Amino acid sequence: MTRTIVLMTILAVACLPAGGCGKDDSRGGGPAKGKTVVRFLEGPDNGGGWKEIVSRFEAAHPEIDVELVEGPASTNTREEMYTASFLSGDSTYDVICMDIIWVPKLAAQGWLLPLDDRLPPNEREKFLPGDIQGSIYEGRIYRVPMRSDAGMLYYRSDVVTTPPETFEDLVRLSREHQKPPGMWGFVFQAKQYEGLVCNFLEVLWGHGGDVFDGTGRVILDGPEAVRALTWMCGLVRDVSPEGVTTYQEEESRHVFHEGHALFMRNWPYAWTKAQEEGSPIRGKVGIVPMVHAPGKSSAATLGGWGFGIAKSAKNPDAAWKFISFATAEAQQKTLHLRNGAIPTRRSLFQDPEVLAESPHYPDLYKVLLAARPRPVHPRYPEISDAIQRHVSAALVGREAVEEALKHTAAEIRKIVGR
Amino acid sequence: MRRLCLASGLAFLVVFSLGPFVWSFLTSLKGGRELFSIPPTYFPQSPSLEHYTGVFEQRPFARYIGNSLIVGAGSTLIALGAASLAAYALARLRIRFSGAFEKALLLLALVPPALLVIPLHDAARLTGLSNSRLALILIHAALNLPFAVWMLTAFFRGIPGELLEAARLDGLSRVQILRRIVLPLAAPGLAATAILVFIFSWNEFALALTLLTRDDVRTVPVGIAMLSGVTVYEVPWGQISAAVVMTTLPVVAAVILFQRWIVGGLTAGALKG
Amino acid sequence: MRHLYLLPAAILVFGILGLPLVLTVSRGSGHFAALFSDATLGSVALTTLAFAAVSVTLEMAIGLGFALLLQQTIRARGLFRAIALIPWALPTAVMAMSWRWIFNDVYGVANDMLLKVGLLHEPIAWLGRPGTAFFALVAADVWKTTPFVTIILLAGLQSVPRDLHEAMSVDGAGPVRRFFSLALPLLRPAMAVAVTFRMIQALGIFDLVWVLTGGGPADSTRTLAQYVYETLFRYLNLGYGAALTAAVVLGAFLLASGVGAAVRGKPVL
Repeated sequence: MTRTIVLMTILAVACLPAGGCGKDDSRGGGPAKGKTVVRFLEGPDNGGGWKEIVSRFEAAHPEIDVELVEGPASTNTREEMYTASFLSGDSTYDVICMDIIWVPKLAAQGWLLPLDDRLPPNEREKFLPGDIQGSIYEGRIYRVPMRSDAGMLYYRSDVVTTPPETFEDLVRLSREHQKPPGMWGFVFQAKQYEGLVCNFLEVLWGHGGDVFDGTGRVILDGPEAVRALTWMCGLVRDVSPEGVTTYQEEESRHVFHEGHALFMRNWPYAWTKAQEEGSPIRGKVGIVPMVHAPGKSSAATLGGWGFGIAKSAKNPDAAWKFISFATAEAQQKTLHLRNGAIPTRRSLFQDPEVLAESPHYPDLYKVLLAARPRPVHPRYPEISDAIQRHVSAALVGREAVEEALKHTAAEIRKIVGR
Repeated sequence: MRRLCLASGLAFLVVFSLGPFVWSFLTSLKGGRELFSIPPTYFPQSPSLEHYTGVFEQRPFARYIGNSLIVGAGSTLIALGAASLAAYALARLRIRFSGAFEKALLLLALVPPALLVIPLHDAARLTGLSNSRLALILIHAALNLPFAVWMLTAFFRGIPGELLEAARLDGLSRVQILRRIVLPLAAPGLAATAILVFIFSWNEFALALTLLTRDDVRTVPVGIAMLSGVTVYEVPWGQISAAVVMTTLPVVAAVILFQRWIVGGLTAGALKG
Repeated sequence: MRHLYLLPAAILVFGILGLPLVLTVSRGSGHFAALFSDATLGSVALTTLAFAAVSVTLEMAIGLGFALLLQQTIRARGLFRAIALIPWALPTAVMAMSWRWIFNDVYGVANDMLLKVGLLHEPIAWLGRPGTAFFALVAADVWKTTPFVTIILLAGLQSVPRDLHEAMSVDGAGPVRRFFSLALPLLRPAMAVAVTFRMIQALGIFDLVWVLTGGGPADSTRTLAQYVYETLFRYLNLGYGAALTAAVVLGAFLLASGVGAAVRGKPVL
């Protein structure tokens, strides 16, 4: 029997500290009584910008305790954490820090509070137009933009003097200067994942096409879409390495960053990395909006993050106080300077301090002004998966271009029910 | 001839098992630019420990390792304890519905952990066990019980019946037979089960992620997922590799000790009777 | 009285796993008919079955080989056993990302080594073609989970009484005959456990695919578990997700217990 007792004791000891911690309020560090708690989940706060913003806010509002939960770096994982807490109907998070594509989905479930009264039109005008547009679902606004993001074209300014404007330019210049396998023409993101949709939409929009027309009809099997996907499929093994169909952001950046590609489609973060000390392409990189067809205009896919209020929030007014504080100019500037976040307020793109830190912002501003949100629909994840599946199939030669688009359009029609 | 076979077999085993791990280790020593050089370099040209120090600057990894050890040890002990009792009954005490019970366990082993995220999140909140390692210990134990019971049942069945019969004639009670005869004789099975259960817990991500959101209770896999670059999208591959190398060594050490402790402990118990 | 031995296990398992399963499945009523007209379900089920069949077979073969090796009396046996365990001890999601770098067409070491040895003439985008992506997935999984099989079979071998071995070698039986006529029959229960639970794990594969290929290219590596996860968490289609879960759990149960029983040498079910 002694052995059993020893075993049980070890067990108890192992569990004790755990049980002890379990006593702690699920609200975390245990705020002082009477304080309102506002909790939100963000990625890891590497530059410390968020901690500074939170402590500044708490100094100004001693009655509110803001709790920043640092989640994993992967956005999918954070979406899962928010979704789990919404589905279980509890109020773990009061403020929702959300990706632009979550807005329609969460709003349609009735999980978010509309913010129309709190964010009047004259306030909205101070933000980048795409960021606001992507925060609206069925006429109501649910999100205040905090960080912006958009796709653009990087080029090697030491090789190419005039950056390309059209799809033909891009391919022509690539063929002219590339020497595979040491130097490829163009790298982008074509793995079967959300990034593929962003890349495809930019090409589609640049050809004058779209997923839905103005009335909500699916036009993804139209002639513009065929031209767009045909162009994309032509890149693989011509000016892009075969493996581009396995690339996410980082894979394409590594190839470009190490000087093995002339052009790259990527988000603004790659610029910061390219200009770092010790970067092999430092000072040799330019950015322009994505190329377009002659007579059409460039378009960037909009990313970016912003704040909404959960319907289950215990104190929406306190949550709003924090949101309006965090998205104000001073705090966006802090987050830019410390964490490298791209502001969503237009005025900051002329701010001397911001420009001193990021001299490329006038160029980036042009890209952001032309950025468009992805299709706004509560069932966007399914729409996205249909596009991913068939565009990927076309890129690896499993489906012909027309066939792939016909399937995608048919699946999307089924999803949206029209 | 036999020695040659053995040697080449072992060489294959070492290359197979260690290859990608060694690659991670070499990666963890490479400086910024070398990580993704084209063509790849095999040995770091200017090895540095910057990624190792970076990991600790970014995240409290010693804490994460401690938490993982607590959760792993706790869930392994609970799973083994409960499974030994159940397996003894299933294998040795002719009971009704034992087949149905085994089948039910198998069915429940198929429940995908992702499916449990929401109900268990709820349950933890209602019982006040959010952010408690105890909740995760119980859940990991439950997730492993079907496997542990099946495994131990198979090993308990392999014990010759005459031995148990003799012990019964000697006047030993059922609990005594389990403790003094069955467990020691099934020591290899117990050790294998313990190792596999412990490592499962060590690597479990989905439930650890949603149940433990405070940094002081987080476990290793979630901690690794928390490593991030200066900018979004950036994957700090050097640091992730360093974290993997660092967190693997203690688990291998723990497993070696674990195995010795179990085998040693039980054999000693059997001899002393 | 004897049933009390089952109580702790029963409480934990049925309380923590059983209740959520029952609650989920009950939500699926009314959605089961849709399963039969779901083309995606058919294709992901086929992919998953093919994956499970190939990888579990390879793992059992390699795992048995490793277990036999590690059973021999060799110097530093403990160290070799620990080494054999390492792949299982590494976090799946991180190693999946590691495999992604290894299989990269431009800077990956897989291509670099094969090119240097001369087995390849030009780099291959391993994860970029449906066939090779499936192969890469199997390779990563076999690497990761072979130790699971090795450990179980090693424990099984250790339980084979040593005097039986000795008795037979006195009889003049060679090591091969000793293995087939003595060890293998005694090893069957352990093999059955290994194969049953490896089937369960393989049929539920998720993390590895999610990070390595995301199910692509062209859906060629999308698995059942990924589809269920997406239906529940991304599409928020809880009713159909519940029906899917029930179907997948039931199908995998029948398959895993069938294969397990066959290996144990008992009638199926």
